[in-house]
Amino acid sequence: MINDNIFEPYQGFIRGNMFKNLYDQYGKIYDVKPLNEQAELLTYIDVYTFACIDLKLYLDIYEDDKEIINLYNMYSAELKKYMIEYENKYGPLTENSMFLNGDNWNWLSLFPKEV
Amino acid sequence: MWKYVKKLEYPINIQNKDLNMAKLLYAQYGGPSGEIGAAMQYLNQRVSMPDHHGVTLLTDIGTEELAHVEMIGTMIMQLIKDASVDELKKYGLENMFILHDHALFPEDPNGEPFTAVYTKTTGDWRSDLESDMAAEQRARTTYENLMKMTNDPDILGPLSFLRQREVVHYARFKELRDYYLDKYKK
Repeated sequence: MINDNIFEPYQGFIRGNMFKNLYDQYGKIYDVKPLNEQAELLTYIDVYTFACIDLKLYLDIYEDDKEIINLYNMYSAELKKYMIEYENKYGPLTENSMFLNGDNWNWLSLFPKEV
Repeated sequence: MWKYVKKLEYPINIQNKDLNMAKLLYAQYGGPSGEIGAAMQYLNQRVSMPDHHGVTLLTDIGTEELAHVEMIGTMIMQLIKDASVDELKKYGLENMFILHDHALFPEDPNGEPFTAVYTKTTGDWRSDLESDMAAEQRARTTYENLMKMTNDPDILGPLSFLRQREVVHYARFKELRDYYLDKYKK
């Protein structure tokens, strides 16, 4: 059961805010429009990374909120899943990636603005 | 230490060149309420916060600000991509061009370089956090002003995201300030 005050991950991401009570709309809401298949998969990583970042700021102050901790763990697990899928296909995003130690050195993959 | 993730916090795909917006966005790059200033301020202040709530929140928000520096830099680079010298002159970017060509430099739209003077640290949690709350509000205002300068959804999407982050960071700084006021009340 998802907390009523928390946006669905994608809806929170495009708003820049996971918390409905803090959301302060200004102008339109913009969908992100991935330009290719790689960017589309990266969007899932963007979404769950963001959900974790924003819930973590809350937990920095309210570290006893079990409901938000559970939500954090859930989104963090989703993030790991999409990271494995993405890095397996397109190369590592972080230096701790399990896909950075193959036969070929693949850290020199595309920089973010080129995806 | 820090680790790099090879992605932006929010995707930037600007299709149309816009030298005027590139120049104005420098306000949030090296300007007085810009993202570099925010990152430097919080990452310096964090070491003198009185407990783990403050140290952690300032570390996490300071780290996120570094990702915002990257977003603004990416926006500027996409907006001036392939601009000719004549185009740069037309939009008043020739002063930037003679010193930095098409490269990024931490400065504001008037060419005023980023200075550490923008970075407020006092060693007093109340002064620091209230300064941070004000910094977030100033940055929100700057983003709203920037959003009035364009109709391009490729620019407005990321600006809208960044503006909302100022709203959230303000709220978290305020909550931390209030928590400390209660914890340390005489």
